[in-house]
Amino acid sequence: MPVTLAKPRFPPSGLRLLNWSLIAWTTVVFVFLYLPIAVLVVYSFNSSRLNIVWEAFTFKWYGELFGHSPLINTLKNSLIIASISTVFAVILGTTGAWLLHRYRYRFARAIQTLICIPMVMPEIVMGISLLVFFTAVHIDLGYPTVVIAHTTFCFPFVMLAVQARLQGLDPALEEAALDLGATPLKAFWLVIVPCLRPAVISGALMAFTLSMDELIISIFTTDPSSRTLPMQVFGMAKIGLNPMLNALSAIFIVTTVAFVLFSEQLRRMSAR
Amino acid sequence: MQKTIRLLLALGLAALCAASLSAQSKRLNFYGWSEYIPQAVLDGFTKETGIRVNYETFSSGEEMLAKLLSGRARYDVIQPNDYIAEALIKAGQLQALDTSKLTNLGNILPEFTGMPHDVENAFTVPYMVGTVGIVVNTEKVTEPVTGYADLFSGKYAGRIVVLDDGRELATAALYTLGKDLNDFSPANLEAVRPILAAWFKQIKLFDSDSPKTALIGGDVDLGLVWGGEAAILWDQDKKFQYVLPKEGAHLFVDLLAIPKRARNVENAHLFINYLLRPDVSKLISDSFPYTNPNGAARKLLTEAQLANPASYPKTEMKLDTFRHLGGDTGARIDKLITDLKNAN
Amino acid sequence: MQALPGANPENPHARLPRVWGWILIAPMVVWLALFVLAPLGILFVYSLGTTGELGMVEFGLNWGNYARAFDPIYLKILARSIGYAALTTALCLIIGYPVGWFIARQRPVVRNRLLLLVMIPFWTSFLIRTYAWIAILKSEGLLNATLLAAKVIPQPLELLYTPFAVMIGLVYAYLPFMILPVYGSAEKLDNALVEAAHDLGAGPLRAFGEVIIPLTWPGIAAGMLLVFVPAIGMFAITDLMGGARVSMIGNVIHNQFTKALNYPFGAALGIIFTLLFVLTYALLQWRGRKRA
Repeated sequence: MPVTLAKPRFPPSGLRLLNWSLIAWTTVVFVFLYLPIAVLVVYSFNSSRLNIVWEAFTFKWYGELFGHSPLINTLKNSLIIASISTVFAVILGTTGAWLLHRYRYRFARAIQTLICIPMVMPEIVMGISLLVFFTAVHIDLGYPTVVIAHTTFCFPFVMLAVQARLQGLDPALEEAALDLGATPLKAFWLVIVPCLRPAVISGALMAFTLSMDELIISIFTTDPSSRTLPMQVFGMAKIGLNPMLNALSAIFIVTTVAFVLFSEQLRRMSAR
Repeated sequence: MQKTIRLLLALGLAALCAASLSAQSKRLNFYGWSEYIPQAVLDGFTKETGIRVNYETFSSGEEMLAKLLSGRARYDVIQPNDYIAEALIKAGQLQALDTSKLTNLGNILPEFTGMPHDVENAFTVPYMVGTVGIVVNTEKVTEPVTGYADLFSGKYAGRIVVLDDGRELATAALYTLGKDLNDFSPANLEAVRPILAAWFKQIKLFDSDSPKTALIGGDVDLGLVWGGEAAILWDQDKKFQYVLPKEGAHLFVDLLAIPKRARNVENAHLFINYLLRPDVSKLISDSFPYTNPNGAARKLLTEAQLANPASYPKTEMKLDTFRHLGGDTGARIDKLITDLKNAN
Repeated sequence: MQALPGANPENPHARLPRVWGWILIAPMVVWLALFVLAPLGILFVYSLGTTGELGMVEFGLNWGNYARAFDPIYLKILARSIGYAALTTALCLIIGYPVGWFIARQRPVVRNRLLLLVMIPFWTSFLIRTYAWIAILKSEGLLNATLLAAKVIPQPLELLYTPFAVMIGLVYAYLPFMILPVYGSAEKLDNALVEAAHDLGAGPLRAFGEVIIPLTWPGIAAGMLLVFVPAIGMFAITDLMGGARVSMIGNVIHNQFTKALNYPFGAALGIIFTLLFVLTYALLQWRGRKRA
């Protein structure tokens, strides 16, 4: 494990400028990232349906949202699918990355290339080919097929993120653990995995995001009971961006932030 | 005594089997355009009949074809448009309707029966009808625009949106040449090429999904759009007028049909008949201001709805529909558009 | 310095796999075989077919689809896609690297919060986000309204449906995929190394160029891969924010399945696309090995 970072010394003044520049730059980037989000949230309270001029402040779109069963159902579907796919993607990606790093397989390069293919393949191509595949092996479309499809194009992202981290990993770590009597499995779980955690987390975040947002592949691998949120939004967006969708996004953000703060609070309490 | 009991049991069992076989499952798999049927209509059907509607949607006719023909999904009612329905009929993919079960069929106006894709009205029932025409922001455009010549005169270069649909654009060009709208011979396609090339230079954006966005946003002042989009715009602001191009315009018909491999055929007929009811059809028109082919429903519409120039355009022109183009015509048209879009 | 992220064949500590090594990798291999290779195989079979009625595929040995893919118009479109993707990657790198670096240098609690803040916008639907940008950039949108009200410009700027709008959309879509890997790499960078460089007299620029960049290179490379590769196939943003005025290779492929109903040609394009990448990746890996 890299030496625990000693609290950085007070940097010399040349670097202070750099530090302030970094803070400023990051702030600007965050403003850029959140500009459309802010617009979304603000307009979710606009009583005008067509998102153009500000009419009046209202909560009515939030009310309508909760009554709109297709939106709620597809949201539920997407959350479930994304969660399961992310778990699978993390398992496949992390173990795959580790195994390829630790062992010298002869087909390692082939596997490496194969893994990147779902990232490259245009979504329509992947969607149609998976549909044909499932048809050929007589698997009905539904939750399983969507999860398989999402996992397949998500796990390369996890794997690459973990591999980037593994490259600088000190090999002495695992050897030390083994020398101290740990089995390879224990060494992996207790020593390596904590090391990889930042990469796994960032990979998992990417996988979850990709799955929540995936439209085209979902179209060709779902059935009505597993319809995803992007599919629903895509259909609704054609009629005109309904402020309900804005309300949905706003709720999403608030829920996620709340969830994060809550889980952090839990962790801190359990750590005491 | 034993024998009688066994006989009764056997009869009872047989009756049960017969009952379960003849009674359709209380389900209907409906595969239609997204955002083309109000949830209230579906809920109403379930309330009246107890049949649950599994509503799956598609965003393009070709997407529907892909999933329908893949065989994995079994749909009971689908919503093809006219030329796709024609192809499906030719390929034997639709089953003949039992018109005795469709008691409300008479509500359909005669002008929407006997259409070329299904002359005998044996396989399809019209759902909603529309046109493709020119919408004009009369606040920004003060001179009259009557057709393609006016639209692409050059005065409005860079302020035009058109559908991102190769066939629609090529058809528009065919109209200006005075040709038949379904004649995509190689010679005609070549004749269309320079016309479209000149048009493309004036077009600001292509959008089939929501062309009204650009019009409302003020980025364009005119557009060649679906009638439904123009109707929504007119409802929003009367400055958006709609006109059918004088060189020629076409009708499109969205239909209801039952695929060959449907499971719940009885329920499918019930559903179609339900949609043909004037009160139900009116609900659809309230949410989606297209042209309603149901004469009885039209009687229930408001003055304002009937006055919408995009929903019910007043025209003396004969409006034809798209026919199925066989072979590789679709691919050739797509290639032409790709060539033109990437010419410079 | 490893040229690419990925399996490091030169890892001197890599062992030869024994029983467990094979058993544990089996699930992934099976997964790849079933859900990547098999569909690819199907695609290949389709690519050799011809279109029949209704877009149904008639199987055969038609290599014409592959020949057609080399039509100059498609090469031009491919070049354009690569260009946009390259520009997007460069911009994402310039904009995103400092952010990834900065986040990595914070305390763990702050770090995690910042990371989540980066990702949260992307848990709203792509379509909704894009329409929000349209609402901002359109002629009667927020940006123009603000600029007009502040009397900075006399007339609304036509920002939407231009390459400028497309670049904003692209960078916006892919920025997190650069920030996260850079963060992952920068996070494990031992601060002591940077300080050592300073102590040895290196100015910030030299420390950056000769210490920080090489040490975070895996993250940079991963980020570049995660942005560049998917960006080539992206077409939704050029359609929505660029007005679909030009085609990307993604449009062409998508159209084969949804407009032209020419599955074989679409499949051929898909295979070529994938092969192009495979070859480039293999080439880079080979060069990376030679250098090491």
